[in-house]
Amino acid sequence: MPLWTLRGLRRGVVTTRYPARPDPSARLLPSPPAFRPDVLTPGLADRLVAVCPSRALARDADVLVFDVGACTACGRCRAEAPQAVGDSGEFELAATARAHLIKRIPLAGRPA
Amino acid sequence: MTGQGATELTVQENAEELRRTVTRLFGRSLHIRTLDTGSCAACEQEIRLLAAPHYDLHRLGFFFTPAPRHADLLMVTGPMVRAFENAARKTYDAIPDPKIVVATGACALGGVYQPDAFTRGGAGGTLPVDVWIPGCPPSPLALLQGLLVAVGRLAGKVKDLDFSLNGTPR
Amino acid sequence: MNPLPVLAGAAAAWGLAALIALACGSARAGIRACCVVSGLGGAAALAGGVSALLSGNSRVVSAGGSVVVGTLQLQATSLAGVFVALLGLIAVATALYVPRYHEPGHATGLYLGVYNLALLASLAVLAAGNVVTFLVAWETMALLCYLLILRGRVGRAEGQRAEVAAGAFWFLALSEAGFVAIVAAFVILAAKTHTMQLDLIAARAHLVSGDWRVAAYLLALTGFGFKAGLVPLHVWLPEAHPVAPADGSAFLSGLITKLGVYGIALFGFVLLPSGPAWRGILTMAAGAVTAAIGILYALNERDIKRFLAFSTIENIGIIITAFGAAMTFLAYGQRLLWAFLLLAGLYHVANHGSYKTLLFQEAGVIEHATGTRDFDRLGGLTHRLPRSSVISFVGTLGIAALPPLNGFVSEWLIFQGLFQGFRTGSHLVAILIVLAAGTLGLTGGLAVYAFVRGYGIPFLGMPRTRDAAAASEARQPVAGPALLAVACVALAVGAPVMLAGLARAMRTITGVTLRPVLLPGNLTVIPAHTKFSGFSPTWLTVFLLAVLAVPALIYLAGRPRGASRIEPVWDGGIVAFKPRMQYSAMTFSAPTRVMFDALYQPSVSVNRASDDPAGSSGPVHYESEATPIFERYLYRPVIRAFEWLADVVRPIQSGDVNLYLFYVFAAVLVAYLIAAL
Repeated sequence: MPLWTLRGLRRGVVTTRYPARPDPSARLLPSPPAFRPDVLTPGLADRLVAVCPSRALARDADVLVFDVGACTACGRCRAEAPQAVGDSGEFELAATARAHLIKRIPLAGRPA
Repeated sequence: MTGQGATELTVQENAEELRRTVTRLFGRSLHIRTLDTGSCAACEQEIRLLAAPHYDLHRLGFFFTPAPRHADLLMVTGPMVRAFENAARKTYDAIPDPKIVVATGACALGGVYQPDAFTRGGAGGTLPVDVWIPGCPPSPLALLQGLLVAVGRLAGKVKDLDFSLNGTPR
Repeated sequence: MNPLPVLAGAAAAWGLAALIALACGSARAGIRACCVVSGLGGAAALAGGVSALLSGNSRVVSAGGSVVVGTLQLQATSLAGVFVALLGLIAVATALYVPRYHEPGHATGLYLGVYNLALLASLAVLAAGNVVTFLVAWETMALLCYLLILRGRVGRAEGQRAEVAAGAFWFLALSEAGFVAIVAAFVILAAKTHTMQLDLIAARAHLVSGDWRVAAYLLALTGFGFKAGLVPLHVWLPEAHPVAPADGSAFLSGLITKLGVYGIALFGFVLLPSGPAWRGILTMAAGAVTAAIGILYALNERDIKRFLAFSTIENIGIIITAFGAAMTFLAYGQRLLWAFLLLAGLYHVANHGSYKTLLFQEAGVIEHATGTRDFDRLGGLTHRLPRSSVISFVGTLGIAALPPLNGFVSEWLIFQGLFQGFRTGSHLVAILIVLAAGTLGLTGGLAVYAFVRGYGIPFLGMPRTRDAAAASEARQPVAGPALLAVACVALAVGAPVMLAGLARAMRTITGVTLRPVLLPGNLTVIPAHTKFSGFSPTWLTVFLLAVLAVPALIYLAGRPRGASRIEPVWDGGIVAFKPRMQYSAMTFSAPTRVMFDALYQPSVSVNRASDDPAGSSGPVHYESEATPIFERYLYRPVIRAFEWLADVVRPIQSGDVNLYLFYVFAAVLVAYLIAAL
């Protein structure tokens, strides 16, 4: 029997069980940001819009428009305002319509 | 593929019937043709890993094929450079119906590159995309989820996510 | 039924057809009349040949003669029966082909007259009963074929006319070289047996001593090998066959080369049947080498007709291999295998005659429809010439020896005979026979490769030039090739019947009764010994049709009912796909040029407009040519030797009258001295 067969048998099954069971490596994946609406001021929002290199953020009056599809998870918005931006931890982001990926996050100081 | 009976179906029922038909046709055997319309190949590397033992898309009934005639699903990466538009359109036309188009990666979804003289900025303008998979690049798990959503074995969940954090920072 | 009167009727018909052609060949009605009579003659020849095959050797008939040439005698033998039947079939097919192929005119009238006389001369060769008749008919046939080839000059540009003249000259020159050897062989036999009649020579063959027998056979092998196209005596074939008109090429390849085969069979099996084993092995080796070299050169050809000419050489090699193996088996006492391989070789003669004639006729159709014979200018003809495409496909399946057609059956028979080499009892001979079988196997594989190229490049894909795209089947001959296609299928499906007839002929020629062993169940063929192998061509055809019917039925039952979308062929998404981007004939066969470069010894020359290695410097001229090794290393030295000899001897012919008078005086003096002593 070839050596790699024995090695493989010793190592066991390496295939992930996803989607039947969650994959433990998923928590290591980079993910798009999540925003704190209560901390996001319009000024902060404008700074975030300016710093995003992929045009995923835009400001529409009192709403921060976040295009999940355009986000590259580079982390610049998080570095710019760590108190307002955190990790979403989501990786299952497939959408059947482009509109499902446009998220509107209300800015601080305004009712939700 | 919509119902053709005398009674009108609601939009909801139509969508459900469509999903059931797609799952019946492709749920257990799907042939994927990848198309690089000018990407940096990071998406291609993640797609390649799908065939590796850890993610193994073959166990889900998915296969890669280079021939559009044998394909059911067109997986598009890259921002659709204008020089490639004709070839992309020809590839899409060469795939027999019924077919699904999946746009993969931030470039294909319209991010990263602005539309200009050289790129169209995403696959949406050239091809009728059915499923969008964000990521830069999307991890193989995200790709698997996207493919399963495309064949109707999983329901997409991004519609209900709000990307808002409430409470203390993590 | 006595075949001789039927054959006489065929000869009369062809003579009449020649007269009609010479008299009124300029009118279309004249051509049609000539072809009708010629076709009737062909039908008579076919019937006569089959009857000769079945009824055994007829008696010898004296047909007058003169003091100069002696008596002309005719005899319809069983061995000649196969070849006469083939002659008849080809004559009928050509008669159907000619009216639509040739334009009426004075040259056409001459050509058809010459052609019908060539048919007559070939029949005379096959029906010759004595040496003189044979030789006179042979020379007449050669000269008439030379004139036939020259007809290819009509309607061509100046450079091509020189090419045609050169090809015809090669044909005549090597035919004469062969004739010398044939005359020598016949003279040896006639002198030693004291008779000129062929059947008496055969009866008295034991009078010829061993050395003379060997000499006569080798002379015959060489002489008839020139005509048949054995390597290295074949160089005239690819020069002469392509330049003749298509039906002339078909006649040359389909029949005239077989006359060489007939000669070898006559000497090897009828006149000098028994001999040492090494003569059989030599013949077998010559045949195997011919087959391999023939198909290898065929793969290197861009011209359809040169390609088919080399393929003829390959098939002749296969037939001669079978004959050689048969003679080897006889030397070891295996009489059943001796008769069996002769039968297999003769069956391959009939098969090759039918599909090669078909392919040459189709090459003529292609040439008339598109104006070119170059593979790399054709393409996509299956849509523009649909009927020709189907007929060519039948011929291609036959010549590539693919089941269930006739080429497969005859090659199977030959292989099964060769595989029984172990029955000779000698290890060395068995190994040599297996080597020959291996060479034939290589040849068969290369033949499939060559004919995928030969059918796929012109007929499939997209047209590579406007000429090919503009091809049309209007007014192209279809009946002639179609008849031959039907003959191919009949020879395959009805193989048991044909083989039963050939087995009857074997009883006459060799005295061996093959029938109960060959065809025990009437539809199954067994190679001479039971418990070795067997198959049924008829049932194989039925089986293949049934197997193919299953997916066809599945498709018909399960195809989508809705409207389907028609999209262009997937070309990889190239924006501007040009037909020239397809495989060309030379690139398709490039792997053989790499593998067998020791044989081809290609010379490559590349010329660029400028020497700039980085940028585009204008057109690049690439030329690659296979070295003609036989012409360069065999023929040119011989020709130069003769030229040197002529130079040495030239002073004799100085032009001085006094010297000539001295010669006369010296000759008379020498004659007196000899008479006095």
